[in-house]
Amino acid sequence: MPEESSIESILIADCGTVITKLLLLERVEGNYRFVAQAETPTTLNPPWSDISVGIVHAINEIEQITGRPLYLHGRLLTPRHNLQGVDAFVVIMSAPEPLRLILAGLVREMSLESARRTATATYTNIQAILSREGNMRSPQEMWARVIRDSEPDVILLVGGVEGGATRPVLELADAIALASYMLEKGQRPMVLYAGNSALRARVTKLMGDITRIEVVDNVHPAIGVEHLGPAQVALERIYAEKRLTAAPGVDTLSQWSRLPVQPTATAFSRVVDFLWRREGNPDRGVLGVDLGAANTIVAATFDGRPYVTVYSRGIAYGPVAWVQEHGIAPLLKWIPEDIEEEEVLTLLHNRALRPWTVPQEPRELWVEQAVVREMLRSALAVAQSTWDTGRATQVSGMMPRLDPILVSGGGIVHMPRPGQALLTVLDGLQPLGISTVLLDVNRATPALGAVAGVKPLAAASALEAGTLVSLGTVLSPLGRAHHGDTILKVSIMYEDGGKLDVEAHYGEIEIWPLLPGQRATLELRPSRRFDVGLGPGRGGAVQAIGGLVGLIVDARGRPLVLPDNVDQRHRLLNRWLWDVGG
Amino acid sequence: MFVSYTIVNPLTIIRTTRRLPRKGEVLARVGDPVEPAHIVAQANEPPDFRIIDVARELDVPVKKTATCVRVKDGDNVNEGDVLATRGGLGARAVRAPISGVIVGKGRGRLWLEAPPTLIRLNALVPGTVVTVLPGEGVVIETVGAHIQAAWGNGREAFGVMRAVVRAPKNPMRPKHIDASAQGAILVGGSKIDEETLEHAIEMQVRGIIVGSIPPSLMKRLETVTFPVIATEGIGDMPMCQAIFDLLRSIDGREAAVSGQWQAGSSFKRPYIVTPMPTQAGNPVDPESPPAVGNRVRVLRGPYASASGIIAEMPTGAVPLENGARMPGVYVDVGKERAFVPFANLERLL
Repeated sequence: MPEESSIESILIADCGTVITKLLLLERVEGNYRFVAQAETPTTLNPPWSDISVGIVHAINEIEQITGRPLYLHGRLLTPRHNLQGVDAFVVIMSAPEPLRLILAGLVREMSLESARRTATATYTNIQAILSREGNMRSPQEMWARVIRDSEPDVILLVGGVEGGATRPVLELADAIALASYMLEKGQRPMVLYAGNSALRARVTKLMGDITRIEVVDNVHPAIGVEHLGPAQVALERIYAEKRLTAAPGVDTLSQWSRLPVQPTATAFSRVVDFLWRREGNPDRGVLGVDLGAANTIVAATFDGRPYVTVYSRGIAYGPVAWVQEHGIAPLLKWIPEDIEEEEVLTLLHNRALRPWTVPQEPRELWVEQAVVREMLRSALAVAQSTWDTGRATQVSGMMPRLDPILVSGGGIVHMPRPGQALLTVLDGLQPLGISTVLLDVNRATPALGAVAGVKPLAAASALEAGTLVSLGTVLSPLGRAHHGDTILKVSIMYEDGGKLDVEAHYGEIEIWPLLPGQRATLELRPSRRFDVGLGPGRGGAVQAIGGLVGLIVDARGRPLVLPDNVDQRHRLLNRWLWDVGG
Repeated sequence: MFVSYTIVNPLTIIRTTRRLPRKGEVLARVGDPVEPAHIVAQANEPPDFRIIDVARELDVPVKKTATCVRVKDGDNVNEGDVLATRGGLGARAVRAPISGVIVGKGRGRLWLEAPPTLIRLNALVPGTVVTVLPGEGVVIETVGAHIQAAWGNGREAFGVMRAVVRAPKNPMRPKHIDASAQGAILVGGSKIDEETLEHAIEMQVRGIIVGSIPPSLMKRLETVTFPVIATEGIGDMPMCQAIFDLLRSIDGREAAVSGQWQAGSSFKRPYIVTPMPTQAGNPVDPESPPAVGNRVRVLRGPYASASGIIAEMPTGAVPLENGARMPGVYVDVGKERAFVPFANLERLL
């Protein structure tokens, strides 16, 4: 690969569970821009079983679009020579199956809860939880049976605060060693020990030559204290080693580029962190959500602390299991017309059978949007349990101050109208205060996160050059009033000197004109009982930037409550839909 | 533009991968002719086991259990055999809870393992072994009719095909299943309901192929011992005409039916393979781009499950019923011409 300073063209492959996307980023008149993109089905699974097949398909499409040779004699042409090839090639991936994980610990509400939060930071599927709780006659036999039947890749062993319990942790370690010993050598799980540090040597000795063990800092060193970082980093590394580099076809890709394959979630989180640093406002966090076919990524940065959560359900492969867990009622309540449960279930099942398909009729779209709302809500609930929102905290248990909010993923980006995308995001995330909502229209954000590791300037330049499109600035006041009461008065002072005085009423979504790129100063005057992000009853002037939808006041209250009466609910949902542009 | 595909082909070269659920031993060799019942590979199911806490059962310190244990590694024991004893006051014995082999001991415990059970993998599809996947399975080559389906209940069978409805939109009913259905793989039209399924179980059919399965029946189908597969998916959809016509054309012939379906990284698709006494088949070409005249199926929207021919390939995006704009093609579906986005289109190969 050439030196960073001479990199002018970067090809990025984003291999999702269903779709592989290829993007060509190039320097054009001093700025980096996406000049071509192509999509093909991901070919990790049968009948291809080779991730490089789909990438080569997409490269051929990009060659046709740009008229530039990129691939010759079974190889990507790199580095670039004259008008052939590219300077760098990076691959991000979420396509492989998640790590199969068993959590082992002492108390579910303490160390095991920390272990669960650790596991959400990367692509994992928790197969079982082994704990010391309950009165088990032969716990070791039960644990061994669970380990054998679950066939985990990794056992995350936690437990014991620093200076605390030792014997129960050793018993668990002993059972793990015993169960591992009984498995074929190639099938033994590795052990990641993140418990009481006083036991590191003894736990390591217990595992002996039986299975591989890694030791990291205690995830729960004291009561009420969590220290998840080192265990999260270790799990991400193990995922990369066991899933990314081992994926069929990655050996071919590694002949084209020396850069390691990165998890999509890591790359996405890097962009969210970059946005926080660009905004430079310690009183606000930045949130990013990427809704994929099999996973929902929630990335956030508060006070310079980045957080990433991989919720192991997405828009295609998650909903059937989600309905089994939560019932179908939460989905039905978002659909603005009469629909039978069986019809919704049918659509969800068929979406899993053919995850690449798109909704064509309005009813299919309503179901898809209902799924997006509930996946966002569920993913956010998992993510919020890992956040320390610091100075961005507004009201305990509610959303912190977030600006901007970045949304990505086919399920949102492919919605027919920007207002529908915005409404779905507002219903799913229910932000508070003042937020700009940015849409990743080309689904390029994770790719830019990968580029940032090769050429940070190129990633920053592409972000500034229109990769993210604003849907609008959203004001979401917090408070309670009667439906129709005036809760906020706004004077919109446009850059060109124009002024518009408007009022927002409780229970409504109000939209006022503020075009993409247009700036305005908003003079906010909330009623006494409402907080628009500046403190209860406090007003003030804030800057706002327009978007595809405009300036939005979501005055529907938090948490958002839908009427139980079906007719009333349908009328309300249809009105909100109408308000945001249909 | 890459468009997904489904094989619906009356005469082609079919390569069927037969894989063990876990590492084992492959018995067939390259070039071996195989019949459906032929065992091509086998593996050991993880055996049942017991961990016997001798120290606790006998109430003796861990260090002293070695003197109490009466068996050694590798010993075969029968259920009820004495494994360890403690003499003196309060004498006790620990007996084997299951028959098996002592495979390990230490820290006051014994590990007793039951005899392993063997998983045998049959060929299912008659043909010739062309590849051996060491420790995993084989690839079998067959010439014949090949149909890929959308969903299956995980079961497999080989038997005689029998079409029981006359049109792809007709659901399978109990009246279609008489005594002659015993041992046959039944081809229905649109769907099957619970009453018909229970009747089919009673009549001991060997398999069922329909267009779609109601979501409410999916759980019940997991417990059925024969394959039930849906060519279109879940819900109430007629069987695609092209698939129905091909299934009717092989009525009375023997077919291998696999209902194994898996989403995601271990992706598997149900299939029907009917061997033909010829070597003249051509392999399908999934890589070629879509073109006017291609045979296609609609996967979603108002024409879901309809098959037709690509009539026009417009450039640029076309508005859909829900307002979105997508690139796609116009398909002649019967007497109508419908726009179908590429994402909702499937070539029939």
